[in-house]
Amino acid sequence: MFSHEPTRNPLIINRRRLMGFLAGAVATGIVTKSEALAYLQDSSAKTGVTAEEWNPETIKALAGTREVDTEADLHALVPETTEGTIQYWNVGPTEPDPQITKDLYQEFQDTFARYYPNITLENQNVGYNDMLDKIRTAAAGGAAPDVAKMPILWGVEFAARGDTSEVTLEEFGWTAEQFWPGALKSVTWDGKLYGVPTNNETMAFIWNKQIFADAGLDPESPPTTWADVVAYSNQIKQETGKNGYGMVAKVNAGNTPFRFMPVMWAYGGSALDEAVDEPTYETTMINSPEGIAALQTYYDMYVRDGSVPTSALTNTQTENQDLFIAGEIAMMISHPSEYVAMQGRAAGATGADKERADQIVANMAYGLIPEGPVRRAVVFGGSNAHIMSDAAHGAPVNRDAARALVAMLTGPEWSLKNNWTDSNPANLVGFETKWMKQRLEEIAFLEVTTAMLPYGIPFPVVPESPEVMNIIVPEMLQNALTETMTVEEAANDAADRINALIASR
Amino acid sequence: MAGSRRGLNFNVLGLARWLFLAFLLAFTALPMVWMFSTSIKTEFAAIQQPPVLFPAEPTFGQYTTLLSPANPTGQQFLGYLKNSVWVSTATTVLGVLIAVPAAYAFSRFSFPGREPLFFSVLVRNMFPVVVFLIPLFILMKFFGLIDTHLSLILTYLTFGLPLSIWLLKGFYDNIPPELERAARIDGATRFQAFWKIILPLSIPGLVATAIYAFIQGWNEYVYARTFINSQNLMTMPVGLEKFFTEYASNWPGLMAASFIMSVPVVVLFLVLQRHFVRALTEGAVKH
Amino acid sequence: MAIAEAPALAVRRAPVAVPARETLGRRITRHWADYLYVLPALLVMLVVIGYPLVYTVWLSFHATPPRTGEWVFNGTQNYQDILSGPRFWRITMNTIYWTVGSTLFAFILGFGAALALHNPFRGRGVVRALLLIPWVVSAVAAAYVWRWILHSDYGLVSGMLRSWGVIDRPLVLLDSKSYVMPTLIAVNVWKEFPFVMVMLTAGLQTVPEGLLRAARIDGASTWDQFWHVTVPHLKGVILITTLLLFVGNLNSFTLVWLMTGGGPANASQLWITEIYNIAFRSLQYGMASAFSVILFIIMLALGYFYVKALTMNAPRREG
Repeated sequence: MFSHEPTRNPLIINRRRLMGFLAGAVATGIVTKSEALAYLQDSSAKTGVTAEEWNPETIKALAGTREVDTEADLHALVPETTEGTIQYWNVGPTEPDPQITKDLYQEFQDTFARYYPNITLENQNVGYNDMLDKIRTAAAGGAAPDVAKMPILWGVEFAARGDTSEVTLEEFGWTAEQFWPGALKSVTWDGKLYGVPTNNETMAFIWNKQIFADAGLDPESPPTTWADVVAYSNQIKQETGKNGYGMVAKVNAGNTPFRFMPVMWAYGGSALDEAVDEPTYETTMINSPEGIAALQTYYDMYVRDGSVPTSALTNTQTENQDLFIAGEIAMMISHPSEYVAMQGRAAGATGADKERADQIVANMAYGLIPEGPVRRAVVFGGSNAHIMSDAAHGAPVNRDAARALVAMLTGPEWSLKNNWTDSNPANLVGFETKWMKQRLEEIAFLEVTTAMLPYGIPFPVVPESPEVMNIIVPEMLQNALTETMTVEEAANDAADRINALIASR
Repeated sequence: MAGSRRGLNFNVLGLARWLFLAFLLAFTALPMVWMFSTSIKTEFAAIQQPPVLFPAEPTFGQYTTLLSPANPTGQQFLGYLKNSVWVSTATTVLGVLIAVPAAYAFSRFSFPGREPLFFSVLVRNMFPVVVFLIPLFILMKFFGLIDTHLSLILTYLTFGLPLSIWLLKGFYDNIPPELERAARIDGATRFQAFWKIILPLSIPGLVATAIYAFIQGWNEYVYARTFINSQNLMTMPVGLEKFFTEYASNWPGLMAASFIMSVPVVVLFLVLQRHFVRALTEGAVKH
Repeated sequence: MAIAEAPALAVRRAPVAVPARETLGRRITRHWADYLYVLPALLVMLVVIGYPLVYTVWLSFHATPPRTGEWVFNGTQNYQDILSGPRFWRITMNTIYWTVGSTLFAFILGFGAALALHNPFRGRGVVRALLLIPWVVSAVAAAYVWRWILHSDYGLVSGMLRSWGVIDRPLVLLDSKSYVMPTLIAVNVWKEFPFVMVMLTAGLQTVPEGLLRAARIDGASTWDQFWHVTVPHLKGVILITTLLLFVGNLNSFTLVWLMTGGGPANASQLWITEIYNIAFRSLQYGMASAFSVILFIIMLALGYFYVKALTMNAPRREG
């Protein structure tokens, strides 16, 4: 449906196509018209975004319509003369990241120093794999930083323990309308806000057009439903010998639930009840008939058809990426930054590899994640900025300085710039700035992941989430895929464990 | 020299020995060869199927990047290397200085509580690292040692001391006290007796202890990443993680860095292993 | 000096006739200088380990629900929950398999290497240094490299076997419930045997040449020399090496964690990885502490009986 040639050609997406797809789905009887509208609205209630409001066309129209003066806004909020020292931990760019990301990272710190010459910003770039444990230990030991920017799923355990400080949007000059309701939900605990969203993104579907063509599939049409994915995957395996879908099912790898939950939600199941309009997080729907159907797709692909890598049980998405670049798998769910990373790696190819590398890149296509009988779904992702509590910090946090930092982080300019290549500003005003316009011109494919935002569902915002998502769900997958249990048994087993977890609160 | 020379005798034992060594070398070398081979490929070439051992166009770009102080990555890497060398060396030196007298006392003296104390030294190893993480962090914070190398050195000491003490004690036990006594009758102080008699005879044990202590800190990751915040204090294993993001991995870079990391210890051992010489005990006793 | 020695020697010659016993307090004060030798070591161990030990044991008697962050005393509930959990026996079996398997084979390989390198030959030093490499390489790097070699879909072994036509489907090692443990053990053995080699090389140096020569003169075969002279002399080193290997393997986390994460379907789930899960995924620090204490008690018991069984060389002491 969506196709992308890197850098040169403009992206061919428009709202008509999106609506057209839905019409097609209705026409082919996959879904009734009322259902189509219903699940559009269903997803949007969770994130507050509707496909009518937010799609590549409207976004383009919005961009550049508002002038933003970050410096003035900040100084109106927190005076320029404010003094203090702020420790700020975040997951910053690492060696493989693109240069522009690294440049903007440095520019943020320099600019903050310029705006607030009397505040010393001690910035710490912590590795993604280290961040969570490090900050947990630090908080337990009273050595947490003043401000921390963390991925969306991580914050709730700190809020539950009282390691974060309560905040209000007003103290930064924001209103609730400026953020996706789903994003705000992810920073709400016990009815109070404990953070501010900085950026939000979702994943999309990526496929290799060459392998599709080789297998006799239309390279321009990705699978529209998960049932298609199973079928295409099998066809690809039969016809070309290559693996079809890039499945990940490793236990304790964060990427596993990010790729399985869209399937689960698409069929109408969920780990707790996070997919309904007003989730209570008190019941599980993982072993409903819908949930079992979702698990069945994985089973069909891995066991019945053998059309996915056998190493799926111990693969993380990083290894999947390797397989994709090597042309060994045909399709997978992919985060925007992976797209950039893969392009970067292909660009570094030399000699005889160069041709193959260029070919892979030329054949990379991006589109919406397939849908299921009930909905199209994707994990609503992003990051939040938190002001840590005095107890966690071990000393009183300099509230004014922290406010200045968080206000800048979550403002329209920097919530965009800090996530230039891989995410979207959580602050919706960011979409109206001139920088958004610039980015749309420079990095076209991001429109696709933006288009997926209406379908985003946040993971359950409870401290038990890590256990559910990193252990219970992947173990359910593995039990089914290794045939230790039947699909139904595995789902029921997972449901029992989740119920036990809920009961033990 | 010591040991019976097999010479050119073609006996079964000798043949078995050579075959075994050959197998061992191959077993040891395979991953290293693969590591090196990956490190000289481009990121794209590294994951091509089918895997090739020798890339068509090898590039030493990773190595030049990592080892040249001119570029930021190289600067960081060399910094990590320097920190690791410092922490490991300090751990080794302190470890030996602390272990030697303790082992000597456990071997030569008889004081109340000797046995339980000796066994208790082992206790540390029996607790999982992960569980100690938070309380140890709290402890280090209490002493103001967070973000200092000392916190790591102290921690790594506890990894290595048990073995060091026990190993050295074993060596001292095997050296007859008569030797020392004879020396002291001749007028030497206890310390001189130790220095002249015990020490030379226990050098193999010291070497083993030193290597062990050095390695304790060299590859340790969990505590290093928890206690150290400042970039300029980080050790190598923590630095290696920088080659991974959530979604990207620089395999050749990682392999090159790992390869470089292995070199100092191997060189150290190469130099030291000459000291694994047989002790000439009979000669000493005859005095 | 010699005069001071005389009474000590005199006393030693007639040990049975020692007069009335001293009180413990007297003995301690008499030996006060001896304690100075062990003081630094004890200080380091006690301070750095003492607090975490007490903390962990204390925490093991508390429930630490992630939802409230408040720690509630709950007696031995954690212990009961762990021991009665359905996973406990599965994980215990895995752990025994892993620990015993790794220790045994690492020891055999390492001992073999030490013996094979005992007699000098040209280039022996280099071979020794080369064989040290697996121990030196970081566990992280080793895990990734071996994973790469053993990977089903892009691994060296699988790829080569397929291109030689030996197999036509990918070789499934790490993703197979049956083969994952032997595979992981093999990697662990690769990593650990140099340690044994180094320890035993040092130990072999202490075997008195005189005894070996005497045995040879008496007509003992190579095997007899080995078994009846060398091995008894190495008892102490063998003991400490295998004990440390054992304990180290019980705590060995990185290799398994990175290569399989405990999967597939808990086939490679060890105590240590389970403890990590409980602590850092389920956020049940109390339960993880309890699990650690259980692990610790087991190791302590094992260590005690092991030491008793292979009693050390009789130490020669001064009074």
